[in-house]
Amino acid sequence: MSSGYIAQQIVNGLILGSMYALVAIGFSMIYGIIRLINFAHGEIVMIGAFTTLGLLQYLGLPFPLVALAVLIVGAVVGILIEKGAFRPMRGAPQVTGFIASLGVSIMLQNLGILFLTAQPRNFSFPDYLQRVIQVGPVSFRSIDAVIMSIALILMGALLFLVHRTKLGMAMRATAENIDVARLMGININRTIMATFAMGSALAGIAGLMWGGKFGQIDPLLGFVPGLKSFVAAVIGGVGSIPGAILGGYILGLAEVLFVGLLPPIYSAFRDAFVFSTLILILLILPNGILGKGMEERV
Amino acid sequence: MKAKWQTVFLSIVLAAVLAAPAMGADTIKLGALYNLTGGMSSIDAPALNGAKLQAKLINEAGGLLGKKLEVIGIDTKTDQKAAATGAKKALAMGVVAGLGYGDTTFVMAAAPLFQKKGIPFVTSGATHPMLPKWVGNCMFMVPFGDDDQSFAIAEYTFNKLGAKKVAVWTDNSMDFTKALSKFFKQRFTELGGTVVLEDFFMMGDKDFSAQIARLKNAKPKADAVFISAIPNEAGLTVKQIREAGLTLPIVSGDGFDTELVTTVPGPKLANDVYFSTHTYREDNRPEVVAFIKAYEKEYKRPPENAFAALGFDAVGLIADAIKRAKSTEKNALRKALAATKGFKAVTGEITYSRPSGVPMKGVSIISVKNGKYKVEEVWFPKK
Repeated sequence: MSSGYIAQQIVNGLILGSMYALVAIGFSMIYGIIRLINFAHGEIVMIGAFTTLGLLQYLGLPFPLVALAVLIVGAVVGILIEKGAFRPMRGAPQVTGFIASLGVSIMLQNLGILFLTAQPRNFSFPDYLQRVIQVGPVSFRSIDAVIMSIALILMGALLFLVHRTKLGMAMRATAENIDVARLMGININRTIMATFAMGSALAGIAGLMWGGKFGQIDPLLGFVPGLKSFVAAVIGGVGSIPGAILGGYILGLAEVLFVGLLPPIYSAFRDAFVFSTLILILLILPNGILGKGMEERV
Repeated sequence: MKAKWQTVFLSIVLAAVLAAPAMGADTIKLGALYNLTGGMSSIDAPALNGAKLQAKLINEAGGLLGKKLEVIGIDTKTDQKAAATGAKKALAMGVVAGLGYGDTTFVMAAAPLFQKKGIPFVTSGATHPMLPKWVGNCMFMVPFGDDDQSFAIAEYTFNKLGAKKVAVWTDNSMDFTKALSKFFKQRFTELGGTVVLEDFFMMGDKDFSAQIARLKNAKPKADAVFISAIPNEAGLTVKQIREAGLTLPIVSGDGFDTELVTTVPGPKLANDVYFSTHTYREDNRPEVVAFIKAYEKEYKRPPENAFAALGFDAVGLIADAIKRAKSTEKNALRKALAATKGFKAVTGEITYSRPSGVPMKGVSIISVKNGKYKVEEVWFPKK
């Protein structure tokens, strides 16, 4: 096993991890602020992917504009889901919100099948995003570089927003204690809406990346990233943004390295290994790697 | 007043129910079991369309034995229990034969129930070569067996592509894909080739980067890679292998017989791909041309895939046997089916001469070069 081979596998893992991290952030933010396990989060990935397909392939808009539009569509869908499905249940037991999110998820999948058919569709990016770049023994595509950079830029921007702006302060305060935050004059509804908007915008962009990377999308594609980002968020410490990012990269690397370094006969069982890792990490660190105690979360 | 309405309504329903068998008595019924919803629907729905089209054409030409042919479609929802229930339902309706399915698992749920009653069951698309042995003398296959399609592509890879060392990727989640790989390795090593690397994945996997890195680093280097996959992973694997800069030929079986092989990677990357499949795609025999024309006329779109043609052939095969038997009595029909010789099906000639019960049927080798499909050769089994 050469060092070039291992380097290639690490790069593969980081690219996959970027996508998981982007989805996991939103998942973790939403949980952090209203303690909601949002299973509909993966469906926003699907909506992002189909929006990209429509704008890029059918309308032929330039790529940067499409990326911006996907961010906005993701945010809007997030806001609509929050307003329509979760706001009326605010204050209800956690399990109510959880079931509602499952309902939203299944509804969005079926709407997708109804209007877009369940057949997978091909998805192609402009040529300049498809070029193969060779660095020493490692090869990747320009789209992979774009995925990594967009992911890092957006994650940086989000961390800045949460830790350095007034809105971020309001979000952290609401996550800490929703009732006290309200008493301090924070507009809870607006803050929660902003959280949904930001988290969903990132999930939408992850959908764009998903389509660009794999070249094939279908209305059920959100299920797997939704589940994996849940795992990533839990590994990193649910509620913590840096934790979600870390969890996403750990998951991406673990998945690829399990396949890449173990004998091929185990390749088909990558998900079994991934979930075993999850259990192992939770046995050692019940709150995840960067998670704090049950009471204080950011 | 209300009660009176109910009585009237009930008596109408009752009359309709009682009259139904009487009205249906002058038709020859075929029970078509297909998964019209769920995971298999993209394969099974076109097959039922093909079957119904064949019945319509036969009826327009005057029917069979002076009666109309009726194909009763039953949706079994990609569920094995529903397949068994569907089979019982069809048998209760008094069908003279059953047909259906593009996958072995579902045939095994339904066909044994037909066997028990001694009524023939014809599978339009399931390709496991052991099916007739497992089920019994009432089981008939329209398609070739998986062994034949694997042998065909193995011989092509070794002799025509000149590959002596191959890597084999297998979808570990299905009997079909595992069987395909097994037969490929068997014939390829018999010919003197070697398998230098075996790798696996699971249906639904999207990212193959780890397997590709291993393929790149295989020592000794592979001359070609055999990918045993169903349509969902066909385009994904080709795209990702080519994007990683690997140019070795990619070979496969009829799981690659899908538009996704060219549309997902795009014409530039969909290159040097070869697969064995039913003799139908890019074929210009009169049966194929007529079928495509009739299908387009009936459904306003071209046939989705080879399974549409296979469904068409399944009904054609049964109708041919009924004609020769001059009867729909189950034993006469079974004997006539078993004696089928040189039946000109859309997907190639069908003859049941082997003890295994699998038809001797040609297998097309199709190449994909710069996004274009071409029939390279038609392979015939030697025995």
